[in-house]
Amino acid sequence: MKAVILNGGKENDLSITEVLGAIVKELEAIGAEIKTFDLRDMKISRCLGCFNCWVKTPGVCIIDDDGRMLAKEVIQSDMVIFLTPVVFGGYSPELKMAVDRLIPLISPFFMKIQGEVHHKARYKHYPSLVGIRILPENDQNNEKIFKTLVNKNAVNLHNPSWVSCVLSSNRPAEQIRQQIKESFAKVGVIE
Amino acid sequence: MNPQKAVLFIGSPKGESASEALGVYLLDKLKEKGLSTDKIKIDKLVSTERGQLELFDAVNQADIIIFSCPLYADSPPAPVIKAMELITENRKGKGKESRQKFIAISNCGFPEAFHNQTALEIYREFASEAGFKWLGGLALGCGPAIQGRELTKAGGMAKNIMKSLDTAANDIVEKEALSQEAVDLMARPLVPVWMYLHFAGFGWKRQAKKHGVSRRINDCPYE
Repeated sequence: MKAVILNGGKENDLSITEVLGAIVKELEAIGAEIKTFDLRDMKISRCLGCFNCWVKTPGVCIIDDDGRMLAKEVIQSDMVIFLTPVVFGGYSPELKMAVDRLIPLISPFFMKIQGEVHHKARYKHYPSLVGIRILPENDQNNEKIFKTLVNKNAVNLHNPSWVSCVLSSNRPAEQIRQQIKESFAKVGVIE
Repeated sequence: MNPQKAVLFIGSPKGESASEALGVYLLDKLKEKGLSTDKIKIDKLVSTERGQLELFDAVNQADIIIFSCPLYADSPPAPVIKAMELITENRKGKGKESRQKFIAISNCGFPEAFHNQTALEIYREFASEAGFKWLGGLALGCGPAIQGRELTKAGGMAKNIMKSLDTAANDIVEKEALSQEAVDLMARPLVPVWMYLHFAGFGWKRQAKKHGVSRRINDCPYE
């Protein structure tokens, strides 16, 4: 099982570092091949919104940087983990910069999913999606935004299973590990 | 007394965009009502210190802040989120008593406007954290159909959009929130869904043909 972790944490964010460590431990325990990408240290340009990845170089972003490489890593994985601090209920700009560059993975053509229009899949196999956000304190509204966003991303990126998980870094390590395990079970990578 | 100032923050990286067309039309309506106006493109400002100062200056000068942005992966584009993060950080400690008003316009390439809903909730959250008064958000589907043209030159399909923005301009000046009428008019499909899907599919094929990749449009290069 190949797992890709997109770490959207800020520099010196200890709560993210702690949670990342716990995620890696759980993945190692199930024998996963893990690739962790600290997005803040990578060269990822903004998406130009040009759609050349659909009509000029199908399936490949025209920008040759780490953003292009990440799209390849994500589609070749079995599980992708979006790890992020809370930023207005959604993803950090560091994570979002990478997520915006994933559109080469889908088709320009449309289809209907449960009555809504979405883009067709380009590939036969897509990874499961686990969205994990680190929350300093409980905020129900923020939680709803995050859950909806991960759900919508999963539908649009054709992830076969998905889960969103809110972790509070001030909780005991055992509780954090348990929540991570439950998330992995929900997407079917462990029983 | 100086007139109130409305500043449009454009979130599209493109030269001509639906985001700009929507925002500029609204600015023009506000100008007719005696407001002074200005516009600024977000994406290049966030990456340099000088650009960030320009961004903060534009925010500080505005009585009415309008974000008009495309939808990328179900939420605002990354540079727009970065801009919101920087603005919030810059305003920390300055109190949350601001009388500055904030509205967001989000447009997407899907025919249905509801895909923009999560993005609008993120903008609302930003307004709250940065201490702006949230007047509401407008969501538009079929954004690419405008092709970045001025709304007055986009033909009959833009009729409801212009009505929505006319109403929004009144709401901004006279009320404390965008009216449901403005929201509903903006959310109406520009063309029937089947027609949009047909022409969108035709458009992708035509562009692929132009680039000589018609047969490769469904390629899976990373398989």
